[in-house]
Order: sequence, then structure tokens, then C-alpha cells
Amino acid sequence: MADPRPAAAPRGATAADAATRPGSNTWGSKLVRWLFIAVSLSFLAALLIAPVATVFATALAHGLEPYLASFADQDTLAAIRLTLMTAAVVVPVNTLFGLAAAWAIAKFEFRGKSVLITLIDLPLAISPVISGMVFVLLFGLHGWFGVWLEQHDISIIFALPGILLATMFVTFPYVARELIPLMQQLGNDEEEAAITLGAGGWMTFFRVTLPRIRWGLLYGVILSNARAMGEFGAVSVVSGHIRGVTITMPLHIEILYNEYNFVGAFAVASLLTLLAGLTLVVKNLVERARAAQGAPSEGA
Amino acid sequence: MSITLDQVTKLYGGVPVVNDVSLDIGDGELFVLLGPSGSGKSTLLRAVAGLTGVDHGSIALHGRDVTRVAARKRGVGLVFQNYALFRHMTVADNIEFALRVRHMRARARRARRQELLRLVSLEGMDERLPAQLSGGQQQRVAVARALAHKPEVLLLDEPFGALDAKIREELRRTIRAVQRELGITTVLVTHDQEEAFTMADRIGIMNLGRLLEVGAPHELYSRPATRFVATFLGAANLFLARRTADGIRMGAATVAGGEPPGSAREHEVVAVVRPEEVAVAASATGLGERFIACGVVDEMVFSGALERLRVRLTDGAAAPLLATMDAAATPYVEATRTQHEQRAFELHRGQEVALGVRRVHVLPTPLSSFTVCAASAPAAEALAREPLLAALAARMKTRIAIRTEPQLGAAQAAPADPAPFVGATVVSCEPHAAQRAEWLLRHGAGEVLVLPANAAVPQRVLIQWLDPAVREATLAVSASVLRHLPAEAVQGAEMPTGPPSGEVAPELARRLAEAQAQMLMVGVGDIRRFAERFAPLLDGGRWPVLIVHRAAP
Repeated sequence: MADPRPAAAPRGATAADAATRPGSNTWGSKLVRWLFIAVSLSFLAALLIAPVATVFATALAHGLEPYLASFADQDTLAAIRLTLMTAAVVVPVNTLFGLAAAWAIAKFEFRGKSVLITLIDLPLAISPVISGMVFVLLFGLHGWFGVWLEQHDISIIFALPGILLATMFVTFPYVARELIPLMQQLGNDEEEAAITLGAGGWMTFFRVTLPRIRWGLLYGVILSNARAMGEFGAVSVVSGHIRGVTITMPLHIEILYNEYNFVGAFAVASLLTLLAGLTLVVKNLVERARAAQGAPSEGA
Repeated sequence: MSITLDQVTKLYGGVPVVNDVSLDIGDGELFVLLGPSGSGKSTLLRAVAGLTGVDHGSIALHGRDVTRVAARKRGVGLVFQNYALFRHMTVADNIEFALRVRHMRARARRARRQELLRLVSLEGMDERLPAQLSGGQQQRVAVARALAHKPEVLLLDEPFGALDAKIREELRRTIRAVQRELGITTVLVTHDQEEAFTMADRIGIMNLGRLLEVGAPHELYSRPATRFVATFLGAANLFLARRTADGIRMGAATVAGGEPPGSAREHEVVAVVRPEEVAVAASATGLGERFIACGVVDEMVFSGALERLRVRLTDGAAAPLLATMDAAATPYVEATRTQHEQRAFELHRGQEVALGVRRVHVLPTPLSSFTVCAASAPAAEALAREPLLAALAARMKTRIAIRTEPQLGAAQAAPADPAPFVGATVVSCEPHAAQRAEWLLRHGAGEVLVLPANAAVPQRVLIQWLDPAVREATLAVSASVLRHLPAEAVQGAEMPTGPPSGEVAPELARRLAEAQAQMLMVGVGDIRRFAERFAPLLDGGRWPVLIVHRAAP
């Protein structure tokens, strides 16, 4: 009878790490440690905490009532709705694409594989404004497909499809990037075992592959979602800034700010910050769950 | 037959990793595929499981051709080296996976699971996760899982590789017991010869994608047919010896050799002497007839029941040794002694001893060694350094001797050296190569290799005999060479034979030019007008050609 391994293996590992760190007990090292912590905390306070605090402070500068009232505005509600809808469409589509791309790259050998890997990274490398411009050049009135689209009365640029496309473009690397190394590292053994036991493709995917990659997948989805809700540059280029129709939350904040409606601007900003904060909390929970699950599988 | 493989070949990027393997495995047999890493044994196992397709040949399970059947429909059980358990499922779910796939009812599933857990002695572990089990327990679960759907065939891919020695032995015993109880045909892949010996009903030894030999463990150990098997399965000293009418002559000693001499002609053979068959004594007189050489004890290693000795030969020239040369090319003999022998005659490092042979086994290989032959010593030495020849000799664990024949190729001259030509004689591919080859064949050489300068290691070997009488010999020599090359063998069609046809050589040259890096094995019975007939192929030719000649009876 073997004892179950302690679940908190990584914690034990960190303790062992700390014990073997050179000079961990000297006065000098203590001083250095405090110095580092102090510097990074003050940096954090200046660059992260202060701006976030400003957002909430300005939003609530005239009390709770004007703050809440700014959400009653029709345009604000439309912006919130558009942002949530964009995320709701873009994230699932990118999840499917990311899964397919990661599967193809991790499990098969094919010509142009390295090109595909590079292309997946492209949206991370180029400026979001250019990502937006690309779609204007393709689907805009003077773009490649502009005339054809106009003849058939289809509007992409300055309309919802353009916003969806631009957001999709800037967010599609996240799921794939997260899954490719994970699936490559996991290998094919369990899938092959399932196949020799008689399982078909779908069953192998849902019963064997998906449970193994679920935390990585969720992590990618969260990152993708955060970017989809917060994207400004690419969306700004393709949106056309039609109030109540093609304005997302980040764009709406800019408009309100430019109109000197600071309470309104910062109120929407605070909502976006809260959504981001929520995303971060979920991300942390996922990371923790992944670490707990990852601990035993390290032995594999 | 449970598993029938027929000429199975698998290529990766044009290179065969499994090369023309044919094999029958009987019902209920435990067959071990043994070979060094990269020998193609795992690929072959995966081909049987259906996880890897084959490029040529067919695979049948219980008489049903499954070559084109998907892995999930083959009904085999496969156990991986790193267990490959579903880590997020409990032991119970792991074992029941195959049963769920088959929509078996929950009660029947549970009953089957209990039965399997009892079989691998893991009762009560149902609800554990794989991470909560030791390596040995995980592999037991993997075995139970692979057996759940009552497969016709169980395949084990290095199942003990990741386990420590004690657990490994225990698990071996369990798997053997389970296999016997169920009577299930099993193929086990391993690189560990001890494992092969303890588990196998029969062993198949693979190297360079080829299945070299198949047999019961004791048969393979005591009567290997190839150098590779002799040295891979246990330790072996390889000697070049002469087969005479009296027996096997090694240096001064003549030892009764296993089989009676086949032909009256005295010829060179490769003799295998296992370390435990080497007798160590203080002086030659203590060994009598069996004495072969003197040496100095270089190394003594205590390994429990046996003591391993490495004895450097001091007058080794009398009995040329093959496999066991060290870096400085000093020949040494490996010997083992039991505790009993150690007590009878105590040894220390640096001590001079006499070595004798108790028992030898002669390999049936027709190519014992290479002898380069040229008109001058520098030419012969240059030929001996040819990369292809050096590679072949190294892989075949044999030596390259040098012989100078000033009159080489001259029609009326006899060899200057009265010794017979032994092994394969190698000549260069310069003009008049055909004439030299004929001269050598006339003076008793059985195999002549005509070697062009800087020939590449062949990827294809064309085999052709021009006389039905030399078919056997040609195939035997070809097989002996092919074992050491990762090359594809192509057997030629019937060719017009007989002296009048002068068409043979150009036709062969045309076929050799068809692909890159080819080699030709050609069997000839009649050597009249040989030089004239083969000049177009051999003189200044671009291909290595091995000529096999046997005089008509």
C-alpha cells in the first residue's frame, strides 16, 4: 500500500528552494530583500494603484448618485451591450480556432507548420491600429472588396461585423499560444491508449484530451476575453464612432472624456476596471486550480 | 497463428526503420522483441497495434488481415512504457474505459473490473487516482486496462523501463502469471536481454530494422547465427578460426566444433566463445589440447556470483580476435569464473595466465573477414582505408587483412602467397578490375568485392544470380551483408545465363544506374570469359559489386 503523495508538493519544493538559496541568513541579504520589496511596491503604487484609485475617486467625486445616473444614459448602455456582445461572439470563435490550430501544430507534421506558428503571433507583434487599418483597406469603401460589398449592400467597416473582425484579429493568439506548448508537452500517449481501447475521435477528444488541457484552455479564454473587452486601437479605426451603434466601452470613455463629462467617463472606466478585476480574480483561481492539478502530473 | 507479419516494411523519410520483417507468433505465446534502441522494435509493435501504418507487407491477427484496419478496431491491448494512464480518471474509470466504449452495463463493468484488479493484485484501489499510486502499481493498472476488453493480443512496449530493479522483477512475475492464466498471445518489446531471457517463450532479435534471428532463449544463446546476436545476447569473444577435417583450429588448438564440417575444403570461419567457456590456467600445460593463447590479466570485476576478467593477449597473433579490440587495438579476451574456480586458482591484476577454450560455436556466416588485395602494398593500404569497406568491417565486427599480389590479374601467373584466399577479397575498381576479379576467382576466392573509390553506404542492394546452382550461396552472402546495412534489398528477375550471352553486364549496369547509392550482389557459376563479359560493369565502374562464385559440383 503506497501512501498518497502529499498534494502540496510545489509548496514543499519552494521551501526547499529557499533553504538552499545562498546567504539567506545574513544581514546583508535581509537588507537587499527589504530594499527590493520596497522598490517594487512603490513602483506598483505609483504606476498601478494610483491610476486605478484615481479612476474610482473621479467617478465618485460628486457622490454615488451622479455615478449611478451616468449608467442610465442610453449611449452608455448601448456601449456596454456592444462590448459584452463582441466578447460573447469573439471569445468562443477564437477558442475553437485556437483549439484547432494547437491540435494541428501539436499532433501533426505538415508543410508550413513553422509559418503557421509565426502567423499566429502576428497580431501580438503589430500595432492594434494597423490591425484595424488592414480591415479598412480590405472592406472599406475604397478597399479591395469595397465596391462588391457596396453593390450587395453589406456593410462591414463602421458596423458591427468590422468591430467583431478587428477584435477577433487582435485576440486570436491567446488561446492557441496557451495550448500549443501544453499539448506538445503532454504528447500523444493517452490519446493513443484511448484509441487502442476502442475509442473514436470525438470520444478521445472529450474524455481524454479536453480534461487534460482544460485549465490551459480556460486560461487562454480568460486572456482572450480581457483583451476583447478592453481593445481600443483596432476597434477605434473600424468603428466609425456612431453613437449608440458602433461605440464600445473603451471608445465611449474617450468620447465622454473629450466632452468634459469626467464623472460619466470615469464611471464607465470604473466598470471596465471592475470587469478586468473580475477577470484577474478568475484567472488567479484558474492558476491555483492548475497548480493543484499540475502537482501530481509533474511525475509523468 | 495469432500474429502473422508478412514482409512488413516501414519507411521514415525513405529510410526503412522496419525492414522486410516476416514473423509468425503462435497462440498463447509470449514473444519478446529484443534490440538496441533505434532498431525498429517499437515501431513494429506500434504497427501491430495499428498506431503506425506500414509501407509494405501485411499484418494478420488470428488469420484476419488487419493491415488496413484502424487501431480502435483491431482489438489489441497496448501497455506503454510511461503507463499512459488517464490521469484525471480513477483506477476504476481507467479500467472501465474500454468497457464504456463498448456500452457495457454498469454491473457487468464492475464485475469485470474486480476480476482484473484481482488479477493484477490491486484489490481495493478502485477509487485512487493514478498520481496516488507508485510506478509499479500504475503499470499494473495499465495492464488491467489493456486487458479489460479481452483483447486477442497483448502488446507491451518496454513496460518495465521506468521502474526500479526490485519492482521490475515483481511486475515481470505478475505479468508472466497473468499471461499464463489468460493464455493470451503477448508481444513484449525490450532492450534488456535479461528481461528477454526471463520472460520469453521465444525471442526475436532486431537490429537496423531487420529481424535477425528468432528462437528460444537457450537456442539463441548457445547457437547464434549472426555476429550481432552472438555479441548482443550476452558477452562473446569472436575469433577467426579455420574449419578443418578434424574440427575448429584456433591458433595451436583444435577444438571439436558443434556441427560436422560441411565441405572438405578447409576454410575460414567465425567462432564464438562465451566468456564462461574460456578456461584460465597458470600455464599452457595445465590446459593441454585446449590452449589457445597467453595473456595478462588487465581487469578484474567482482559481480556477485561471477568474476569478470579481461585478459590482454600477449601472443594473440596465433588466434585473431575480432569483436573485442580496445581503443589501442590490443586484442583481449573476456572470461568469467565462478566462485568455485576463483578459490581453486586465485588471480591478481597483471598476472600472466594461459587461456583455453572449452567449447566453441561456429557462426554459419559465409563472410568471415575481408582481405584487400592489390599489386603493391601502398595501393592495398589505400584500399583498406576506403570508407565503405571500413564501415562494413566495423559493423560486421570483422577485420581487414592486407595482401600484396604483384602478379594480380596477370593471366599466366600464380599467386605469390601460397595461402588460400579466405573471406571476401577486395579489389579496387580501376581499369582491368574484371580481369583481376577473374584471376582471384580462378585462384580460389569465393567472394570478390570490387570497390570503387569513395563509394557511399548503399541504400539499395540488387541481388542477382546467373546460375541456379549459386542461388543459395548468393542469398546467404547477401543476407550476411544486408544485416549490417539499413538498405533495401531488391531481388533481380531471372536473367539470361550461359556463356553466349554478353548482355548480362550492360543490363546490370543499367539497373544500377537507375537509383542512387546502389550495390550489386551477383552470383556466378561459370567463370569462363568472366573478364570479357563483366568488363563493362566492373572496369572503372561506379558501384560496389560483390561477386559470389561457387564451382559447379
